[in-house]
Parts: sequence; C-alpha cells; structure tokens
Amino acid sequence: MVTPFHFIRGSLTCLAWMLGFISISHAAEVTAQLDQDTVKVGAGAMLTLTVTGGRASQPVIPNVANLIIQARGQSQQIRMINGETTISLTLSYVVGSNTPGDYEIPPIELTVGGESISTQALKLKVLPDSASQPPAGLAPGAPGTATSPQKPTETEDQFGFLTIELSASNRKHVYVGEIAPVRIRAWLPADSRAQLRSGIQPEGKAFTLHHVTEQPQQTREEKDGKSYLVVTWYGGMSATKAGTYPASLSLNATVAVRDLSAPAARRPRGGPFDDPFFDSAFDRMNARYIEKEVKLASRDQEIEVRSLPKDGRPENFSGAVGQFELGSPDIPAQWRTGDPQKITASVSGSGNFSLMKAPALTPENHWKTYEGKDEFTPGDEASFSGTKKFQFSAVPRKGGEQEVGMEMSFFDPTAGEYKSLTIPNRKIQVTGDDLVEQKVATASQDTPPVAKAEERLVAQKKNNSSVKSLTPLVSRPAFYYLLGCAAAMLGAGLGFSWLRKYRENPQRLAKLATEKALQEAMQAARSSAAANDVPGFFNAARRAIQERLGPLWNQSPQAITLAEVSERLPEDSPVVGFFREADLHEYSRLAVKGEQFPLWLKLLDQALHSLTPTTR
Amino acid sequence: MYRLILKTLFVTCMVLWCAGSVRAEESSKFTEANTAFESGDYARAATIYQDLIDQGGASASLFYNLGNSRFRLGENGKAILSYERAKLLSPRDPDLRANLALARKTATVFDKGRYNPWADAALAFLSRNEWSWMAAAAALWIGLMALSGNVLRGSNLLFRKLRWGSVIFAGLILLLGGLVLFLRRDEAQQGIVIVKDAAVRLSPFEKAESIGTPGAGRRVEIGAENAGFFFVQVPGTDLQGWMHRKEVERIEQAPSDGS
Repeated sequence: MVTPFHFIRGSLTCLAWMLGFISISHAAEVTAQLDQDTVKVGAGAMLTLTVTGGRASQPVIPNVANLIIQARGQSQQIRMINGETTISLTLSYVVGSNTPGDYEIPPIELTVGGESISTQALKLKVLPDSASQPPAGLAPGAPGTATSPQKPTETEDQFGFLTIELSASNRKHVYVGEIAPVRIRAWLPADSRAQLRSGIQPEGKAFTLHHVTEQPQQTREEKDGKSYLVVTWYGGMSATKAGTYPASLSLNATVAVRDLSAPAARRPRGGPFDDPFFDSAFDRMNARYIEKEVKLASRDQEIEVRSLPKDGRPENFSGAVGQFELGSPDIPAQWRTGDPQKITASVSGSGNFSLMKAPALTPENHWKTYEGKDEFTPGDEASFSGTKKFQFSAVPRKGGEQEVGMEMSFFDPTAGEYKSLTIPNRKIQVTGDDLVEQKVATASQDTPPVAKAEERLVAQKKNNSSVKSLTPLVSRPAFYYLLGCAAAMLGAGLGFSWLRKYRENPQRLAKLATEKALQEAMQAARSSAAANDVPGFFNAARRAIQERLGPLWNQSPQAITLAEVSERLPEDSPVVGFFREADLHEYSRLAVKGEQFPLWLKLLDQALHSLTPTTR
Repeated sequence: MYRLILKTLFVTCMVLWCAGSVRAEESSKFTEANTAFESGDYARAATIYQDLIDQGGASASLFYNLGNSRFRLGENGKAILSYERAKLLSPRDPDLRANLALARKTATVFDKGRYNPWADAALAFLSRNEWSWMAAAAALWIGLMALSGNVLRGSNLLFRKLRWGSVIFAGLILLLGGLVLFLRRDEAQQGIVIVKDAAVRLSPFEKAESIGTPGAGRRVEIGAENAGFFFVQVPGTDLQGWMHRKEVERIEQAPSDGS
C-alpha cells in the first residue's frame, strides 16, 4: 500500500536525482556584477556573484588596498522553463571605500562542480564626500546610498522611522540648560529584520542628547493601520540657545523588509491550501527580503526652547535646572583658620545633575572653598533622578564662634521659577586668627564667560621650593642599590648570627671537649705503653673508653665501671674484654712482657671502634 | 700640610660662593616671573619659569606657577602637565589640587580614577618618590638591625623589644610600600596630551589615518616609540594608536632624561 509518506519520500528522491543530473548536465558559469560603478566615500555598491551549473565552493575574495568588501548573504533559485531546470546561487557583497580613487576588483576565483572558474575584473570609482551624487542609473534603494536625506521620504518610511516625545506630557517646551526627559522610538515594519549600526544622533546643533538608555525596550504596536516593531529608548535632551528648533534625530540601521511588490511565485495547485483565501498569506511568506542600509530619521518636530528668566534669578544660581532637595551636610564642629577640612553635602532629585555645582557655604566671605570631587548615583536607568554627593575642602577665614550654613538655588522648569534651598546655620568653633586676604591676580574687565572660571585660580607661589627630581627613586638605579645594600646587610646579619650560634652551641662544645679528653687519654696510653707502665696504660686506656661512652650513655665518664659495661654490652664485646683485662692488670700488678702492649693497643682500638652512636 | 688646608678652604669657599650666587640669580628670576604673571604677561612668565626648570631647577612651586601661566594662556594641556608634575613633587598641596581640578574641568578632562575614590585618595596621599624612599629606608633599617643585632645582643630587654618592634614596623612599611609601588607601577608610563587637536593615528606616520582625538590634557599610557611617534592608549576607552612625540609628554621623567 502506498502511503503519503512513501509518496513524499519517493518525490524527494526523484527531485534529488533530478538536481544531481542537472548539476552535471549543465556547464558551470559564474558572473560578477556591480550595481553601480561610482559611489561616494563611505557608501557602497552591491556586488553580485551568480553561479549556475553546479555546486560552488566559497569564493576567494581578493584583497584590494583601501577597498572594503563585506559579505551580505546568499540565496539559491531554481527555475524550470519549458521542462529545463536551472539552479543558480547568488552571493551578495557590499563594496566601498573610505579613500577616494579608482579601484579594480581582480577576478574572483571559485570552484563550481569541481571546475575552477574566475570572474571578470570589475572597476569601481569612489568619489570624495564633497563630490556630487553618483550619476544617474543609481537605484534609489541601492545598498549604501541612503545616508543623506534629512527628511524621511515615503520610500524610507517603508523601512521605518523615528519619533521623539517629551516625557513631561504637560509641557511642549524646554528651558535652556534643562535636560528634558524624552522618549525616542524607532518604528520598524512588523515583519522586518533590523540591525542597528549606530547610536541615536541629533541631526542639528540645537539639541544635545544625554544618557540614552543602553538597553532599549521592544514592543509591537499598531499605527495608522500598520503593525510595527517599536524599539524605545529613554534619554535626555538639552539645548543651549533659546528659540524654536526641529528636534531631528537619526539612526543608522540595516533593515530587511519583504518585497511585496515583486511578482508572486506561482503556487502549486491542489492540496488543503488550494484556495485563494491563503494566497495573501503564502505570498507574504514567500516574498523575498530586500535589505537596505538606511538612516532612520525622525519627522520634523519643533520644540520650543525658552530662556531661563532673568527676574528672580538668585545670585548663587549656577545652572541647576530640575527639582532638587539638599541633604544635611557634614561640617566639622571644630576648626582652625587656614586649616582645610572636608565638607560633604548631597543633593537629590531629578534634573541636570551634570551641570550642577556644589552648594556654597554661607556666609560666603567667611570661607575659602576649593574645587572638590562629586559622585553621582543614578536613581533610574536614564540618570534623570538620583543623588549627587559633593566632597570639597574649605578653609575658614575668620576665627571665633562662627555660624555656618549652606545654600543652593535651582530653576524648577515645571513651576517656571527659581527656588532656593538652604540648610539652617549652625554654630562652630574656629580657633586661630583671621586670615589676611591674599591678593589674587584678577582677569581684565572684558572677561569672557569662560574666564569666569579663571577667577577661581589659586594664586602663584611667592617662594620657590627646594629643587627635586621628577624621576622617582623607584625608577632610578639607586633604589635597587639601596635594596641591594639592605639585602646584603640582612644576609650578613643572619650569617653572623648563625656563625655565633654555631660557635656557642653547647653540644658542639661538649663534643669538642670529649674529643680532646679522648685524644689526651690515648696519648697517655701510648706513652705508658712505650714506658712499659701497665697500670698507667690501662688507666689511660680505660679513661679513653669512658670518655667515648660518657656522651653515648649520657652520664659522667668517670662513673662507668666494669659492672655497668658488662650489664649494658654483650659479653663478647671488645669493650667488656678490655675492661676485664684492665681490672686484672691494674689491680693484680702482674709482670708482663713488652710484646703484650701491641695486643692490648689492638684490643683498645677495637673497643673504641665498636662504640658507635647506636651503642646503648 | 698648612698650605693644603688653606687650598681646601679656598676651594670650598669658592664653591659655596658660586652656589649662592646661582641661587640668588634663580630667586631673582623667579620673582621676575611672578611679577610678569601679576602684570598679565603670562607668556613671559611661562618662558622664565620654563627656563628655570630647564636649567635644572625643577621644583613644585615652579611647575605650579608654570601651570598657572599656561592655564591663563589657554594652553590647558600644558597646564595640566605642569600641575601633574608639581603634584609629583608636592602631592598634598591643596592649592595645586584645586588648580589641577579647575584646569581639568576647563579642558573637559575628567580623571575617573582606577579604584574607588577612597583607595585612589589613599594611594595618592604620598607620591611614588615618597613611597619608594620609605620602602628603601625600611629595608635599610631591617638590614641595619639584622647586622647590629650581633653587636647589641647583650642589651637590656626594653631595648631588645624596641628593636624588634621597629623591625616589625619597618617590615610593614616595606610591604605596604612595595604593594603601593606595584599598584602604581604604570604611572611611569603615563603622559598628558598637550596639543588640543592631537590625533591618535593608525600607524606611526604623519599622513596615517586619524582614529581619534583624545583632547588636550587627557591622560594616556605611553608605550613604544617608533619614528618620532609614541604608541598610546587612552585609559577607559578602546582608543589606541600612534601619537606624535610633540603632542604628548610623559609626566615623570625617565632616568635617562636627566634631572
């Protein structure tokens, strides 16, 4: 019985045979083509390699100096015309350069069905950026060409667009210096594939973007009856000049959308989906993708930028715009005039923290403050809210009991007015005399705004300090000589210490004394033997053995007797034998012949040699 | 013998007199430069300060005043370099720190530091020179105590305790100094970009492609030199390449540079 499974398997096998037959029955052919022969610097032309007649290897792309060739994918097409089937493989590359000039792409080699084939050489002219647009014939949708237009066209809308909105929904204006929270959205066709190639950039000079979130959110939304994939960023936008300006942003991306304008491939009839109802869905699924490098741009949306009002501007206003609160500062209770100490203060809220300066100590003329450090801890991803901690040094100018406070002012864009924050005065004790004011060189009358900062430059040193080297000791050979000296002294000290301990070692000294006593006893024994003095010989010889046994048995040499030797050593030991002989002759006073002495000396020698450190 | 003593005294007096006159001349020039600065002639003040430094008279005050002059002339990169050099010689001067912070702010150069602010402040409390002298002195003290221990071993208990205490303290200083010098070892290679539009180039050639402009006053790590170009890396960024040696200067001087 023939099941659908057998039918499908049989059909696939037939198709595979057919493809194999086709691949060997047609001559292999490769063509290379550039879609344009002139591009501007930074733009690209599309290079298409079409391979027919067999399975192709990966082509070897030649390396041309200053020419960039980037692969953009491949596609395979099977055509059946009048019963003849052809298979073609299309490989796409983008070719461009950052250096103007005439380039030649050498023949590209690849192997098709085991046969090595080269394409023809191609020429590409790269014009300088200032040159006019490439000549006619350039397709508007050609890759790499959509980099210039400021306003999105309908064609570009097909690939997506940007929108920008102020997050503060009740306002349509911003103030100079304010970092206004904005929401930036990239609207991409729902079934598109996109790759972002740059960050979001402002098109004009009127606005600056700040703290754009690194991880955008993705949602699907409907707009004007179309479905979009929406990528949303949050960030801040600031302006430095009053007026009404278009808030244009752009974003470079590579977007691939389905080409629904291309004629749909004929769908085989028959089967469960053979109904016109499914044509639209299948056509959409089968439509090929058109990929394009585009600059997604926002539609012109004008935003009014208002100047900060001059009326009511506090003297200590330093440019903070937002809504802030001043935390309790850390001010030392005891101080001395001229003695710098650290002050810590914190400001929390939301606004342009990056332009905010440290709150001032009051009364202002009682303190000299130095620029310090600040650290911002963001409270949200876009860094609009958070806490800025200031740490700076200050020196009291006046002695005695002083009142110290802190204040800062800011502009509240929601209320449209300036506000001041103060920390109530507290009393501190300052010892020392009032400081005499140093004359600080001041700038001329026509001081530009930048020179304002120069007024805070601390004055010149009046006296020259001692001459020093800019090369630290650690970078000079002297450092290593000093360390070498120290190591040598340490080594010598340790060496001397070891030597002293060695020389004063009591065990070593006792051993030396034993050896000395042994040598003396042996010398006395030999002298007695030479003089035929039997008692003297045995007395000295026994003393020699006792001196050797004493340290081994850890007892006084004089206390070692024949009885103890007999008890602790084997009966046949030469030591026992010698002790017996010694007792016999020392107390018996027997007359002996001179030839006995060599035998006794030999026995003494054996007895001494038998006493090893293991003798117990 | 009498004549030899007289000759020695004469030569000593001459040397002292010459040194004194040189010092007096330097002092006079220093005052002259300060006067020029106060009268607003910053270029002349900077020239005199630089001359004094070039004559081997590098001091914290000279570098500080030179930094102020450069700052007034709008040469932020050179001002920051001078302040950084002054900081090597006088690391705890609050005036210097204030002016350096101001110069950095004006040049929109922000030093993020390497560790946390507390650790950075602790590491920078002493200069590398001061740390190295302390470490060397501690090592010498340990060596001296080891050597003298054989001579002074018969001394009393209190003296021996003091001796061991001082050796342990010196050992800790040596360890700490070694650790700090290790952590700050890359400072010998740090430099400051002194030209506003100085470009980091792809290769060490005048016409090589520019891959970035770090900006005057920016701290960079200086590496190998090739054909009048330094290989530089901008900390905290991926930017690295070649920069002309006229556009960047080391903060510390290499031993071969003299001084």
